Amino acid sequence: MKLTQMLKSTALVGSLGAAALLGAVAPAAQAAQEYLLTVTRPGHLQVIDMKTNQVERTCEVPGNFGSGSIALAPDGKSAYVLSNGMEDVYGFDIRSCDITFHAAQSTKTLKVKTFQSVAVSPDGKELYTVQNPFGLERDRFTVEQPRLAVFNVADGIGAQPVRTFPVDRRITKIATTVQGEVILGGGDVKAINPKTGEIRMVTPLQSWDKGPLWLPPDAFAMHSQGEQSNEYIMPYVTAEFTDESWNFETAEWWWGMSRVDLETGEAERVEMVPFEFIVFNFISHPHDPNILYGAFNTLSKHDISKKETVAVHEMPHTYYDLNISADGKTIYVGGASSDISIHDSDTLEKIGSIQLSGDMSTSDLRVATIRD
Amino acid sequence: MALNNNRLKRVLMGTGALALAGLLSPAALATDAQEIIRDRCLACHTESSDAANSTFSRISDQRKTPEGWHMTLNRMEHLRDAKISAQEKRELIKYLSDTQGLAPEEAAPFRYLLEQDTNLVESGVDENLMQMCARCHSAARFGLQRRTLDEWQMLVDFHMAQFPGIELHAGSRDRPWYQLAHNETSAQLSEQYPLDTPEWNNWSKAKKVDLKGRWRVTGYVPGKGEFSAWMTAATDDDGRYNLKLEGNYADGAVIEGSGKATVYTGYEWRGTLTIDSVKMRQVMAADKDGQVMAGRMFLAMEDEIGGELRAVKDTGKAQVVAVMPSYLKAGESAELVIVGQNLDGDIDLGDGVRIDEVIARSKDRIVVTATATGTPAVNDVQVGSADSTVALAVFDQVARVDVTPTNAVTRIGGNGGEMEKVRATYRAIGYSAGADGEAGTDDDVRLGYMPASWSIEPVDEVAEHDKDHLYAGEITPAGMFIPGDAGPNPERKMSANNVGRLNVVATVDDGDSKVEGRGSMLVSVPDFVERVLD
Ligand code: HEC
Ligand code: HEC
Repeated sequence: MKLTQMLKSTALVGSLGAAALLGAVAPAAQAAQEYLLTVTRPGHLQVIDMKTNQVERTCEVPGNFGSGSIALAPDGKSAYVLSNGMEDVYGFDIRSCDITFHAAQSTKTLKVKTFQSVAVSPDGKELYTVQNPFGLERDRFTVEQPRLAVFNVADGIGAQPVRTFPVDRRITKIATTVQGEVILGGGDVKAINPKTGEIRMVTPLQSWDKGPLWLPPDAFAMHSQGEQSNEYIMPYVTAEFTDESWNFETAEWWWGMSRVDLETGEAERVEMVPFEFIVFNFISHPHDPNILYGAFNTLSKHDISKKETVAVHEMPHTYYDLNISADGKTIYVGGASSDISIHDSDTLEKIGSIQLSGDMSTSDLRVATIRD
Repeated sequence: MALNNNRLKRVLMGTGALALAGLLSPAALATDAQEIIRDRCLACHTESSDAANSTFSRISDQRKTPEGWHMTLNRMEHLRDAKISAQEKRELIKYLSDTQGLAPEEAAPFRYLLEQDTNLVESGVDENLMQMCARCHSAARFGLQRRTLDEWQMLVDFHMAQFPGIELHAGSRDRPWYQLAHNETSAQLSEQYPLDTPEWNNWSKAKKVDLKGRWRVTGYVPGKGEFSAWMTAATDDDGRYNLKLEGNYADGAVIEGSGKATVYTGYEWRGTLTIDSVKMRQVMAADKDGQVMAGRMFLAMEDEIGGELRAVKDTGKAQVVAVMPSYLKAGESAELVIVGQNLDGDIDLGDGVRIDEVIARSKDRIVVTATATGTPAVNDVQVGSADSTVALAVFDQVARVDVTPTNAVTRIGGNGGEMEKVRATYRAIGYSAGADGEAGTDDDVRLGYMPASWSIEPVDEVAEHDKDHLYAGEITPAGMFIPGDAGPNPERKMSANNVGRLNVVATVDDGDSKVEGRGSMLVSVPDFVERVLD
């Protein structure tokens, strides 16, 4: 079990005890090496040493820039990048930049797009994507059933799906649970068994039953980077109307989320804080699940036990996503432009930055942890 | 048994021999155009034919405007790699919009788009279509098409495959967008905009009137003002018209130009002229008799900059076409220009309007000074026995001023960026209160376009706080709104760009009082897509 997972499960027991425990184990965490990963235009996987905040390695990603979605192998040594207009997946050994895996999903007659959805099984042996196929007939295009595609990582270059199962439309980020299910983030949050294709509802969002005074949630996860807390967050915006006149002005607007614990596959759904500004990516504090951070035009800190935004730091430009060190002390804010902004997780003060060779655009910002 | 001559005749009469006669020359064109389709399109499309006619997959089950066909052919050329010459493309657009176009009634609600009057905000769009379809482009884009259910569904599938993120955009992802679009929206569209309609059935059979001849034209050019002119349309060998335009602005300055026009679908007039050495385009619709055309003329380089255009055919009859200005204040005198054709006889501006002097007079243009001695009224403008639907409004007070466009969109640009600024030109329309003495009611009397001084103000407190009125642009004395520079502005919060929400305010002097009118203006970001139709 990952150290961070252990920390989280203990943290959940009780925050006082957990805090004490954290102080005790934190030094041990330094034995693991954390790398910050992102993709920059025109096509580079950047491997950043989080001890020194220096780019340690830059791997060439073949194909046109896709969306920069990254999935991590559980051992932190391999990273899988969605490239070539969101059609191909390339696997890299981040210690050498060797390309270990390539799946080209499209054919001459079928264009296959993957919207962010890449994940690796807990044993590192299978890779999952959600495929959105479009038929390219001679004088018309057709829209085909989306599916979960299962690849054997060992098939390496030229890998083809070994199994596929139909899934919903509009699925973006996916993640695997310790039990081996794949969490599917779409209109609702569901989970699929990648052996049988059986699907269960995790959190109804589009199909929730919260009464007529609640606006159907606008749920969207371009980035869900819960590796430091072993969780998956699907954020959403909703509103509670005062009455059936549906007045948008007087409605109470909320940020909500479905947060799936990837240890158990169980989820909680909460309206966490009032909607005051746009956040593109939320992450939790690795040791305190009540504390969330968000990035966009601001870096913000939220205490969901109090349903409050506790700190807001105005950013000089828009950033799309963020991540955090395992010790919970340092926040990295990235995406959009070419600089990663580094902040103190307590005060949100800026404490550094990393300049990259190109724009990150919509790329993920993920933390790979290698323990040797 | 073969049809004998008599029966053949009867059949022809039954289906309207007239229509058939009218189509004879297009029929020659049709075989050419079908050959182009066979040569250029059948690598991907398929032909099926029965004895009577050929149909082409994807092509035969939709109808659209010349601009609509142009857009599709551009896509075939640029995205599908179809090989087609400019000349073949022109011929196909003509053939397809003649044989699979829109009836005048069908295009009528959306003429603003054809007229490229694109810095207005559409109103009255069905809420569902607004949310599903009209958030990326205008509602007129599909309002100007007619298709079978299958074709509406294939259009949705094309959108999905061409823009795979479409179902994930804000505004789509809160619903099963594709299922709704493919099933419900397509069904709604096939009912609202079906391929077969009585309007098209009638129009495609109707005899089309040749629009060649001499036209008395009135219009407005931003920065120069109202004009009246003669425009002649003479047939050219290539099926187009050669145009000559000659006349005067209200201040007497000469307006002059020449160019070409094509008529599509029997009534859609598209002209390109060089006027006073500037390239301008005309988009007009002819009425069913081919006697009057109305539309807009604008700069070829900048669609947003233009004004109304109207043309009345010279049939030899006497006719009053316009009076400029179209109002006169009670108790005051002013110079008026009466525009018409074949004008002869006494000038009568109604009871209570005295003609003081005829300054200039010809058969098509009369300049007078007149004094309104009577009470407010709307008077017919008459010259001898000429036909006239032209009115002169005598008023005592400007009660209300409207600004056009009412809801405008402009775009920041320039500043070394890829896109030029998208500007807007404004005009003020004055009204008197009418019989009830109250402004803003149904009986207000439209006086006409009035000179105004122009200013801008923030639209609300948020805009004021963000100082939109200082950053988003400025307006010239002539009512031309020029948006701010593109790119981040370090003076603004978050280095925001110069977008903003403003009111454009017209102030009209009416004797000692001033009357204000307002229009709203969204100064938006550059739009990097250049399209045939918005
Ligand atoms: C190289 C293949 C190819 C060629 C050549 C081609 N097309 Fe197409 N056409 C397509 C495809 C693919 C589609 C469906 C996707 C789309 O609408 O762009 C299509 C769609 C269309 C449509 C339906 C568009 C809509 O809005 O629903 C029309 C009309 C059409 N083509 C006309 C033509 C004409 C006319 C030509 C010849 C000048 C032509 N095409 C040549 C491939 C082709
Ligand atoms: C994500 C933005 C988006 C949405 C939503 C959208 N469209 Fe479009 N649509 C486009 C673009 C871009 C094109 C231009 C395609 C091209 O290059 O020819 C287009 C083209 C069209 C055309 C012209 C096609 C032709 O060749 O004649 C029609 C008609 C149209 N859309 C109708 C619709 C309808 C109906 C809907 C709702 C079901 C819709 N659109 C929703 C972006 C959108």
